[in-house]
Amino acid sequence: METLTFVLSGTLIAATPLLIAALGELVAEKAGVLNLSIEGMMALGAAIAFITVTTTGSYWLALLTGGLAAVLLAALFAAVVLFALGNQVATGLAVGILGVGLAGLIGKPYDSMTVAPMPRLPIPFLSDLPVVGRGLFDHVALVYVAPIAAVGLWWMFRHSKLGLVLRAAGESPETTHAIGYNVIAVRFLAVLFGGFMAGVAGGFISIASATLWSDGLIAGRGWIVIALVVFGTWRAERVAIGAYLFGFATIGELLVQSTGLAVPSQLLTSIPYIATIAAIALLSMDGRRVRLNAPVSLGRVYRETQ
Amino acid sequence: MKSGLLALVAGACALAMGASAHADTFKVGVLLPSPVADVGWARQQDLGREAMEKECGPDVKATVVDNVSEGPDAARVMNQMMTGGAKFIVLGSFGYMNDGLRAAKQHPDVDFIHASGYKQTKNFGTFTARNYEGFYLGGMAAAMVTKSNTIGIVAAFAVPEVVAEVDAIGLAVQKVNPDAKVKIIWLNSWFDPPKAQQAARALVSQGADVLFSLHQDTPSVVNVAEAEKVYVVNTSSDMSKYGPHSVLASVTNDWTDYFVEQCKAAREGTFKGADFRGGLAAGTVKMAAWSKDLTEEQMAKIKQAEEDIKSGKQHVFAGPIKDKDGKLRVKEGENLPDPEIFGLNWLVAGLDGSIPK
Repeated sequence: METLTFVLSGTLIAATPLLIAALGELVAEKAGVLNLSIEGMMALGAAIAFITVTTTGSYWLALLTGGLAAVLLAALFAAVVLFALGNQVATGLAVGILGVGLAGLIGKPYDSMTVAPMPRLPIPFLSDLPVVGRGLFDHVALVYVAPIAAVGLWWMFRHSKLGLVLRAAGESPETTHAIGYNVIAVRFLAVLFGGFMAGVAGGFISIASATLWSDGLIAGRGWIVIALVVFGTWRAERVAIGAYLFGFATIGELLVQSTGLAVPSQLLTSIPYIATIAAIALLSMDGRRVRLNAPVSLGRVYRETQ
Repeated sequence: MKSGLLALVAGACALAMGASAHADTFKVGVLLPSPVADVGWARQQDLGREAMEKECGPDVKATVVDNVSEGPDAARVMNQMMTGGAKFIVLGSFGYMNDGLRAAKQHPDVDFIHASGYKQTKNFGTFTARNYEGFYLGGMAAAMVTKSNTIGIVAAFAVPEVVAEVDAIGLAVQKVNPDAKVKIIWLNSWFDPPKAQQAARALVSQGADVLFSLHQDTPSVVNVAEAEKVYVVNTSSDMSKYGPHSVLASVTNDWTDYFVEQCKAAREGTFKGADFRGGLAAGTVKMAAWSKDLTEEQMAKIKQAEEDIKSGKQHVFAGPIKDKDGKLRVKEGENLPDPEIFGLNWLVAGLDGSIPK
């Protein structure tokens, strides 16, 4: 494998699960719900997807079951914060811990087992290009789907009625309610969507990239996802840039170490975080516009009144 | 009245059961930092627990609590075990040191052994594996089979134990094949399988055709090696079933003899808080899964070195050893003394990389 091929493919593989989960979180946050349980949802999705592949051999079914398992967890979270009016931060943390624990428990018999990686879907002609071909166009389907989903969400928030309704629910739930939309239902579905994406992202890690299951597999990536949404100032395109940048920096760090340059490795390990923060901070220098993007009612409990 | 009588009977029963449990069993507790899986550090310790139940005595009941995070959780589990009557406790992670020492001081009747530690008291012993001896042999094999003359190491943290392993690999490679380069990636994480895999791929992209997986509990790096068709030497358990073509050797840990011996001492009241450092000679470090791709001649050389290390004829850190900057660290005819091996913070010449300070 050539260096450039590795950098390109490694970046995509590292960034894809982050991007998928971050897009889900973006939708939930745009609708006004801060879901801090992404780590748990990714872990549960990863465990269920892995178990599905080992028992049925079907990768697509695995991504589906992984996603649905996380949806169940998301439904629990949503029920507590939307119907029981629980605090979003506390509930998110609790459900996240529950998810990680549940994943460890369910996945226990499968700990440290491996599966064959999900079959790749090389894009005809493009994948034959020298260097770039193998780096960019010889991956599992999700790697291509993720950026398309980012563009799709960007378009949805900007140009579609659905996007407007979601944003309205996150900006001013009272107004949204007044003009006849069911805010709770909108938020509920947004959270479920976020859960599904997190579950699929977890599944991607366990069956397509790491191809193994072990307790703690997600190793904090769920928190990076939440940070990406905030630093991406709640805009799909910036979230996507952030995810790819983070993936690239992760790979770059390892590559610099492997070439033997005498740079302290702790510094290198922190570069992905620093680089992502710095780049997105530059993108969003204008504080006024950041506030414009942040959902005003994010994290606030909404009580439906007549 | 009736219920009072019932309660009395129940209480008496419980008392009797409690008493008999005390008289009949010698309770042992094992605390592990990670989940007991099919392979890995926790797995090897759990095998030691099984051995204690079988061999330490007919009355021994050993329970394991895995995935215990360091800090208040560990202290709580230790207390629970001691309240439950445990008289011998195995602490499977360096990070349990302070809580363990405190518990040992408060409960002089309970004996402890602690992994990778450096503080001993009369009822608190420590144990460490001389894994570097195994990795020296692994390094020899790597230097023999590499075609690209590039060897890559995926290492967890630059703590002295791991640095000693990296240095041992470097020394072996230098001796067997001085043209080969050794590249190192520090993950700065004990547990992040996807990152370990990316690191392995990064090393392969830089031409490495033999990888070392240092202190990765999962078969993460082995998995990449199998996919990329390169060799790998791994830590803790035999991982050849995850990489039937790729595993060149596994440096495994066998704690059974040591655990059983300490358990017996604790049971008979002869326990001494000693510092145990087991290598190839003690059988704590065992080589497994030697690849069939190694020729008979190569295997003979490796086996000879193994025997020499066991008998003490050869020392892994025998001088002259120069560090990366060319400074002579160990003089000709001298061996690096134990305290320095277990405090290593420099890389030997021939290693391509640096140590995070």
